Amino acid sequence: MAGFEHLLAALTPLNLAFALFGVVAGTVIGAIPGLTATMSVAILVPLTFAMPTSSALILMGAIYTGAIYGGAYSAILLNTPGTPSAIATTFDGYPLAKKGDGDYAITIACLASIIGGLIGAVALMTLAPPLSEVALAFGPVEYFWLAIFGLSLIAALSEGSLIKGAAGGALGLILSCIGVAEVAGDVRLTFGSQTMLSGIQIVAALIGLYCIPVLIDLVAQPGHHLKVDTGSRGFRLGEALSYLWRDKINAVRSSVIGTIVGILPGAGGSIASLVAYSEARRTASKDQAYGKGEPGGIIASESSNNATVGGGFIPTLVLGIPGTPPDAVILGALLVQGVRTGPSLFTNQGEIVYTFIWGLILATILMLPTGLLIGRYAYRTIITLPKALLVPAIAFMTIIGSYAIRNNISDVIIMIVLGGFGWIIGRFGFTASPIVLGLILGPIAESGFVQAWTIGRATENQMGMFFGRPISIAIILFTLFTLLSPFVLARLKKIKERANAD
Amino acid sequence: MQTDVQKDTGGAVISAFLIGIACLVIWDSLSYMDGDSAVFPRTFAGVLIAASLAYIVMWLLGRAKAGAAPEGGSSMRRILLVVVMLGGTMTMPVVGFIGAALPVFVALTLIAMYDPWTRFRVLVYPLIGTAIVLGFFYLFREILQVPLPTGSLFEG
Repeated sequence: MAGFEHLLAALTPLNLAFALFGVVAGTVIGAIPGLTATMSVAILVPLTFAMPTSSALILMGAIYTGAIYGGAYSAILLNTPGTPSAIATTFDGYPLAKKGDGDYAITIACLASIIGGLIGAVALMTLAPPLSEVALAFGPVEYFWLAIFGLSLIAALSEGSLIKGAAGGALGLILSCIGVAEVAGDVRLTFGSQTMLSGIQIVAALIGLYCIPVLIDLVAQPGHHLKVDTGSRGFRLGEALSYLWRDKINAVRSSVIGTIVGILPGAGGSIASLVAYSEARRTASKDQAYGKGEPGGIIASESSNNATVGGGFIPTLVLGIPGTPPDAVILGALLVQGVRTGPSLFTNQGEIVYTFIWGLILATILMLPTGLLIGRYAYRTIITLPKALLVPAIAFMTIIGSYAIRNNISDVIIMIVLGGFGWIIGRFGFTASPIVLGLILGPIAESGFVQAWTIGRATENQMGMFFGRPISIAIILFTLFTLLSPFVLARLKKIKERANAD
Repeated sequence: MQTDVQKDTGGAVISAFLIGIACLVIWDSLSYMDGDSAVFPRTFAGVLIAASLAYIVMWLLGRAKAGAAPEGGSSMRRILLVVVMLGGTMTMPVVGFIGAALPVFVALTLIAMYDPWTRFRVLVYPLIGTAIVLGFFYLFREILQVPLPTGSLFEG
């Protein structure tokens, strides 16, 4: 039972200290472009081997949740997602920071992350066994359609021209094919270059496509990086809470999306944030300008990506199938600790599991003071640092961050070249977001498609494989609804206006 | 009559370039041993060609409008930034991480400098740059255990 005694067990000074350390370390590591949540958990795993199991889990959960939130800092202040989960945070976070509201954006991100983290953790505590069956219901074809649903976001992300957005998305999907093919093993699109053989690493591509164009424009003009307002405005907590209350449906819906996507093995925070952002944008009111600094975009992205933490633990603990990459690292650490994951874990070792979940909830709550303080410091640093130091410091971080992902100089070269290319085509209206979307969703779509195609061929039922499964049909219908509803609504509005005029 | 600024000629040129990339992708896919490897690149090369062609047709019909004019500024500084970053990265395996990072930091400071050089800045900026480079070197190499390049020049 998730009772009071487990909360008390999580509240020991040692566990609280681990939770605090984990959140702070995770936030700082997650804020550095290139250092992902997976890496931050992996680095600190050896520390946990000598700890009591529940304390070890609390530390790893706290690092994970902190790192997912930390990715928002660089997304908001530098237009560079610190972790792939923060990709959708850039869409509105950076424009908001450019307007001089970076502090407000960080507070909104902090509050949304806490809501998402809490909803994910509560789902883990109360609904883990039934929800874990969702993971088993998803086969390759469902992943394929989920990726296609994610690609439908291109329509929302194409600023100005849908055709350019479609071209950018196709380019991203092509870029995701570079290297050794996952399914058949062919070497694709390297044109004999050793640099290209290992393919385009997604985090390096994110850094290149989002951060390098900002640096290129930053160095070209003498003005400030972000609009600077004089005088202290505090954390702007009241303002952020007030907005969050008005946009509570978005926060709850995005957290639920994050929890469900987190349950799906391999999907992760980036997909969750994109799907939640797409839904927030689709259901936005007329006065909400998504993509131009709308706080609702940050709420959608940050609440959903932090909800994947709790959601991802559901299949990890109940089925032994990691929901997200950091969960895979944590699963390995659990096996070292002698914990046997499986449906009986919640009954046989309930003390450990529920203490851990309470620890995760406490760590999420601790994000409020730590996140606001670190965020304020990061914001002040970015706006006060002279450009002659800011530019080399960011450039240096992009280089070392891209290198550290796979210890590979090729990733850094690809990052810089992609950044330069992204800047050039960006000047002509081909924005980075559809390309990045294609890059992220390409491998999921391709492996899902090829596996489903092969199964369909073997069972001589390809049509049934792609269009005959209930979850697939639901995702297809939802994708069509997302794509067509704006046109249908606009048409209906015109008809209504014409009728009123007559 | 529409001017070039309104007609987004740049967008049409990029579209033509993307068609070139898509053709290269299709050509490359002809060499794959397994047909499954070619399905995705070919499909999306087709989508890229279709979208780019559609944009060029729109441009020819005068319906492709350019967006807001891009930001101005110093092109030379932009080019130097990319060249210095690329150059520093490429020399890293030879001269090592610190051997490449310190000159890159100094060069980028000079490129990004718009304020006059005062005695304070001359003294303090290099110190801050060195502290950042060495701080990150220590963080990544010693704490995060990332094997940063030591440089083939200095290897026995």
